[in-house]
Amino acid sequence: MEALFYVFSIITIFSALMVITMKNPLTSALYLVLCFFALAGFYVILDMQFLAAMQVLVYAGAIMVLVVLVIMLLNLSKIKKIKADLHQIFIAVIILIILFAEIVLYITKGSLKKPTGIYTRALINKVGNTQIIGEFLFTKYIFPFEVASILLLVAIIGAYLFAKKKY
Amino acid sequence: MIFWLIAEVIKILIVFAGLLMAAAYLTLLERKVAAKIQNRMGPMEAGFHGLLQPIADGIKLFFKEDIIPWDADKFLFLLAPVIVVIPALTTFAVIPFGAPIKVLGHTVPLQITDVNIGILFILALSSLGIYGVVLGGWASNSKYSLLGGIRTAAQMISYEIPLVLSIIGIIMIAGDLSLANIVSEQSHVWFIVYQPIGFIIYLIASTAEMNRVPFDLGEAEGELVAGFHTEYSSMEFAFYFIGEYAQIVVNSAIIVTLFLGGWQGPFLPSVLWFLIKVFFVVLIYLWLRWTYPRLRYDELMDFGWKFLLPLALANIIVTGFIMILINK
Repeated sequence: MEALFYVFSIITIFSALMVITMKNPLTSALYLVLCFFALAGFYVILDMQFLAAMQVLVYAGAIMVLVVLVIMLLNLSKIKKIKADLHQIFIAVIILIILFAEIVLYITKGSLKKPTGIYTRALINKVGNTQIIGEFLFTKYIFPFEVASILLLVAIIGAYLFAKKKY
Repeated sequence: MIFWLIAEVIKILIVFAGLLMAAAYLTLLERKVAAKIQNRMGPMEAGFHGLLQPIADGIKLFFKEDIIPWDADKFLFLLAPVIVVIPALTTFAVIPFGAPIKVLGHTVPLQITDVNIGILFILALSSLGIYGVVLGGWASNSKYSLLGGIRTAAQMISYEIPLVLSIIGIIMIAGDLSLANIVSEQSHVWFIVYQPIGFIIYLIASTAEMNRVPFDLGEAEGELVAGFHTEYSSMEFAFYFIGEYAQIVVNSAIIVTLFLGGWQGPFLPSVLWFLIKVFFVVLIYLWLRWTYPRLRYDELMDFGWKFLLPLALANIIVTGFIMILINK
């Protein structure tokens, strides 16, 4: 399991780096798909098969396809020169330092002891995590779940209105 | 442990070889069925009634000149056909193709692996086949290919939603995502009896997902030459073909597993039952292809979004109501 963790970590970090360094936007998008796959691998290691499947199905299979489609339609490969903006670099460096500090803090201050809930690993393996997630979504978290779905509906209608607008 | 490992490897090899052979011979079957429908003989020269035709075709494609367009993105151009084939072959890993058998005192399930999210695994993988088509269309750097790729992408996204929703009814009745359990739930009544509409939606949506007539807008030869694989030749072209036919076999196997009772059946051995059922579903796909004209693009989109999607949603709601009414 530990070996797998390192394999997936290397793939994730490598592909994430390639996403931001590649000149061709389509290649970047494909590396992002690879990154999502490696993340799905992490979920499988953590016994969250449902999340892994959803990760691939929703992110790699649906959202990234739309991104790739938009890139293809825009034909960005014609744009050769990318302007380097000094402001962007400045902001990026600050955010980078903050994020790095956060990681260092988390690793040094954090302890291995975590609070355990009622769902132990044995129980999850017995019932199946799909069922547990479903039960939580429809009982304890029903309100946020429904709010999120209404939000998505509003977004769909908004997108439709924008697309229909005649200029 | 060692026994388990050897059994797994043998199963993987059998499935892999079987799928490739099936994909190869499906080309012959398709040509024979087409010939029958059009009142012709079909391939007759290579071997008895053309039985060696797939091998002859394979050798021919292997020795064809491998042409890569000058302006193509070479890496993606070569990667795309591979992306089509791999998800199609991998999907079969979770499909049970026979009753568990006893070998040397061990029980070996005739399924490469029984993951507890079997259906989601299949859906996740089938949603990836689209990349091969889209990338092939883009990387060729040709207008026809690009148009074919974009059309296919839009089409596959549209039909994936009814495809996924049509299965929800099955999951509700079976109460499980594992394919082995879904098959064992069907020991008395096949799920097609409970879910006839789900079955039809899945059949239509999977035909669209595989880009076959009447939904083959991505490679409509009347307008786009050959669509996304216009620029492909030799083995890369063969890979697209293998991918397409492997997808037919895999989709038929999924239909058999979800709706037609899987490997269950009286008298005959379970594997044989599975193969017979898969063969009949494959015939339905071929029959559809050679008897329907191609849809127009706007008709295709309207059909997906305005008819199949509401129907799939209604199917879920009605299934839920009936399940509550009879207190299942």
